[in-house]
Amino acid sequence: MKKIEIAKITSLNRAPLIIEGYLFEGCDPEAPSIAVVGAMEGKNILPLYTASKLVDFLKNNISGKESIKGDILVIPSINHYALNINERFWPLDKTDINMMFPGYALGETTQRIAKKVFDVLQNYTHGIILENREDLSSCIPYVKLFQSGFEDLQGAKLFGFKLIHHKELTPINTVSLQYNWQLWGTKAYSIVCPNENQIDINSSHEIFEGIIQYLNKNRIIDYKVLNGFESTITTKEDVEIIKTPKSGIFIATKQIGSYVIKDEMIGKIVHSLNGEVIHRFFAPSNGMIVCGYKNALIFEDAVAFRIVKSGS
Amino acid sequence: MQITEIFSSQLPVGETLSIKRSRFEPTKKYDSLKRISIVSGIHGDELEGQYAIYLLSSWLNKNKDAIRGIIDIYPAVNSLGIDSITRGFPLYEVDLNRAFPGAEHEYLPGQVVHALAQDVKGSDIAIDIHSSNIFLREIPQIRINKEYSNFTLPLAKELNCDFIWIHDAVTVLEATFSHTMNSMGTRTLVVEMGVGMRLTKEYGVQLLSGMLNLMQKEGIIQSREHFEAREPFLSEVGEVFYLNSPTSGLFVPALDHCAVIKKNDVIGTIVEPLTGEVLDTLYAPNGGILFTLREYPIVYEGSLLARIFGETDEKN
Repeated sequence: MKKIEIAKITSLNRAPLIIEGYLFEGCDPEAPSIAVVGAMEGKNILPLYTASKLVDFLKNNISGKESIKGDILVIPSINHYALNINERFWPLDKTDINMMFPGYALGETTQRIAKKVFDVLQNYTHGIILENREDLSSCIPYVKLFQSGFEDLQGAKLFGFKLIHHKELTPINTVSLQYNWQLWGTKAYSIVCPNENQIDINSSHEIFEGIIQYLNKNRIIDYKVLNGFESTITTKEDVEIIKTPKSGIFIATKQIGSYVIKDEMIGKIVHSLNGEVIHRFFAPSNGMIVCGYKNALIFEDAVAFRIVKSGS
Repeated sequence: MQITEIFSSQLPVGETLSIKRSRFEPTKKYDSLKRISIVSGIHGDELEGQYAIYLLSSWLNKNKDAIRGIIDIYPAVNSLGIDSITRGFPLYEVDLNRAFPGAEHEYLPGQVVHALAQDVKGSDIAIDIHSSNIFLREIPQIRINKEYSNFTLPLAKELNCDFIWIHDAVTVLEATFSHTMNSMGTRTLVVEMGVGMRLTKEYGVQLLSGMLNLMQKEGIIQSREHFEAREPFLSEVGEVFYLNSPTSGLFVPALDHCAVIKKNDVIGTIVEPLTGEVLDTLYAPNGGILFTLREYPIVYEGSLLARIFGETDEKN
């Protein structure tokens, strides 16, 4: 294993930000390679943890050097400055590094960081980006793949997650790492992790096993794990969006990942001052709750649940 | 004047989020009224538009008989952000000017921008007033997407701004208010002036004159007053030179904003207070006008310090 310095940014009053990658060189020059990117945002706790556990696994747990066939680069964190002070974006100007790709060497600070990271990520056969949802919700772990024209939808099934979200591309997505990585020829995927401040060990294992399975099925490592799920590909037509007609205190009575039946109560809104239940949520169809609002206080018309419909 | 709530949403604890519009209409009936919409506060830390719009509504209140069209003003699109010194939409941390056109079924920031776009839709002209951000001070200028410049450049010249910057089409900017409105048929201009979190009174007065001049030319007002419209310089006749910080430190400017400078003039220094060292001295890469200057002194490598507009082949 080699530790490589990808970028170094100095600061007037903070210790320098040094972005490092852990490079595991494979024994088979013909084998495909992969790079894994962890926390780009300061609230990417599960992406950070999962990437760091992957480093530990590749360094200490995989038996024998021969098991690593292709080159594997893991970058557990890009935005330490934000992580260390619980900021989401770049702490000075609040820009999102994942909106700066492919980067610009002569541009603003986060454009320069993106450029240095992107330069290192070039020419990998496969790419994984660990991220969270952009809105105020948490979710089951799933693969997010933009409908970019460059995506490999079949390849996404090799992670063995229950869900692949084949998402419409919007203008804002054209400056994301996933899109640009694909544009430059890498089979890139985003794994969307549950959005929690604490480590959820079960979700972390699920994501970790998905990555190991992907590495194994693509012959990047030789390490068998139990097969995952036969993934379901969803688009927005498959998803029921349940919004709250009232603001207040949101209480989910069904957990994310639960199967629900039509008309089953799944949550409620309590008036924040007089304590009365002012709204009850009922599942509009059979299916699985794949996303749920994660804060206790909810805005009017905010999306409380997303249910992937099941049945004929 | 009629005040309308174009969007409202009950917040979790005893408060309503409200986006408001004031409409000024003629006191008499006229045929085929033109409509102009003036928007500010899409970014919660940009307040220059609040003052310019205040001056405009104050003028309209005093000159009701001059009104010949519909003038809609939206001073505070990101009202929660403005009152909490937050650039993006609070809690969601979303830049509203990267969230257009939005939709009714999106998250709250998407609903807000959707409501604005739907309300402005049908206007003949829209003006979106920004204040740069808290980091940079800008001279009053208009930003125009090349894709729509045939329609918007003639209007921009009437706005009494100093500079018109015509930029290339960039996919990510399709999520802005101006692109959305231009694509919906409303000729939309973006004004950048001053600095975030502050008011520059003279710029407010300057833009007021420009807005009134434009409205006079378009027949939206009819007044005997003369409204100044200075001749702006166009980005197409020269080049914009960027000066980004080569290192992190404290930026100390050596020149005033708007100064006319020569190549190799010292723009400022990057210093280290802890040691008393000068880490770097910044020289102008080209002569011209210093139309952007760093206001917030803490910089990282790459932070934008200045922009100069000058002739490409300038010999100094």
